[in-house]
Amino acid sequence: MTARFSALEILTLKCRIFDIEFKNPVFLASGTFEYGLIYRNVTNKAGAICTKGITARPRGGNPPPRIFETACGLINSVGLENPGVDVFCKETLPRMRSLKTRIFVNVAGFTVGEFVEIVGSIGPRVDGFELNVSCPNVDMGGVSFGRDPDVCAEVVARVRAVTELPLIVKLTANFCDPLVIARRCMEAGADGISLINTLHAMAFDLRKKEVLIQGGLSGPAIKPFALYCVHRLKELEVPIIGVGGIMSGADAYEFLLAGASAVEIGSAILRDPYSPLRIIKELKRYTG
Amino acid sequence: MRSYRLKIVRRTTHTENIFGLDFKYSGITPWPGQFFQVRVDEGVELFLNRPISVASYKRGHLLLVVKIVGRGTRTLSMKKAGDYLTLFGPFGRRFRPAHRKSLIIAGGIGIAPLHFLAEYMARRNIDFDVLYGVRNKDEFIFRSDLKRMASRVTFVAERGYREKETVVTRIRRMDLNDFSVGYACGPREMLMALQELKLPITTYAFCEDFMGCGCGLCLGCAIMHGGVYRRICIDGPVLSLGDIDFEV
Repeated sequence: MTARFSALEILTLKCRIFDIEFKNPVFLASGTFEYGLIYRNVTNKAGAICTKGITARPRGGNPPPRIFETACGLINSVGLENPGVDVFCKETLPRMRSLKTRIFVNVAGFTVGEFVEIVGSIGPRVDGFELNVSCPNVDMGGVSFGRDPDVCAEVVARVRAVTELPLIVKLTANFCDPLVIARRCMEAGADGISLINTLHAMAFDLRKKEVLIQGGLSGPAIKPFALYCVHRLKELEVPIIGVGGIMSGADAYEFLLAGASAVEIGSAILRDPYSPLRIIKELKRYTG
Repeated sequence: MRSYRLKIVRRTTHTENIFGLDFKYSGITPWPGQFFQVRVDEGVELFLNRPISVASYKRGHLLLVVKIVGRGTRTLSMKKAGDYLTLFGPFGRRFRPAHRKSLIIAGGIGIAPLHFLAEYMARRNIDFDVLYGVRNKDEFIFRSDLKRMASRVTFVAERGYREKETVVTRIRRMDLNDFSVGYACGPREMLMALQELKLPITTYAFCEDFMGCGCGLCLGCAIMHGGVYRRICIDGPVLSLGDIDFEV
């Protein structure tokens, strides 16, 4: 099942994952490129874009501060700001159709039903879905879906019933073993796994002696751990999208060596919106 | 937006913790309110770029004036003439000031973007006054420049002058009937106090925040404005002061 590059494909970076073709294995991670419409020239050269997380209802997001730099990375607490699935389908999605890349909608549900509702509303108008199972599960006292293999499997199975498009599950690595969860997700009908999502993190305001920000840690600080998680899933022999602190072609290649079929670029974009183009170019040097 | 690798032509020291970096620049012309994302660390330890507003742009020179407030700005302060820096920009919505008698209201380092606005207005013969306050009277920058460009400049300080005054205490005593529009930049407390005064003129705030990307991608620099979250980086940084909700 794991995507392999043929000789020609290595030169062009073209790859086939979940039986669809991507122009390269460098994807834009959810939440760091919005809907791909601001820097279209970058979006169009990437293998795929994972949209900002879409929820069933519109969300204003969290109060500021939402971003805080930490050593070799940052904590974000944007709080899934998005217009909700209805407005997304009516206003954003039509504008995304002119993008020359694969579109994966990142789906963020707070109940199992919401996952089904969002995927159902969007229907077959995109190339696939990435299920964000890191949200708190409202029906289960707010514990993240992603920590519970049974609930994850239920989400995947229920969504599988309403779509035939590729389903990627974006796993958290917070307080759980992604291998166990990934296995259950695949059994329930997922087509692949992307990992890792941001890690729980916080920072304090020393002057006020109170919490300054609580959110998700990303950036090069989490790369070695992300790499380990990807490698841990290698034995499943399923398509894996590696995410976590990739800053260069070398980093991306490392993830491919660890067992990933593709990678997602996230935090690097915040430092330089054109960095995916550089990473694609650098990756060619390794795989070529 | 473009990325630039720019050579520092000159580094100026304004006060103990305010310095200027002067670049030779022939890129996209910046507008008032716009800023650059400056890379402080070519390594990744100081991960994010720092949003620094344009303090001056003329004759192919771009001037950024920076106050040392943390590790990133301290690292920047160690750069010397001849060093190169990576910049991205210009970012921010282009702001076109009105052709009406204006009042610039600056607090502390808030003078930096407003100095650029002053340059812009002076070039277009827009009449304006400046009210500029700092903590300590030795913290003023651009003094002679402002005097040259503005019809009238009022300097106030909390320490150093016989009269202890802030921008807010002074503006309360000012007759604002002459003005049609105000441009304010400074500490959050100052902007909040100005908002509370409900000035009789249309007032715009030049906002700041920690930023991720600086270009609308990450939704990191949110500000509650007119009941919805807006992005300071692309909906601002210049926003109508009255519509900002500072309590959120």
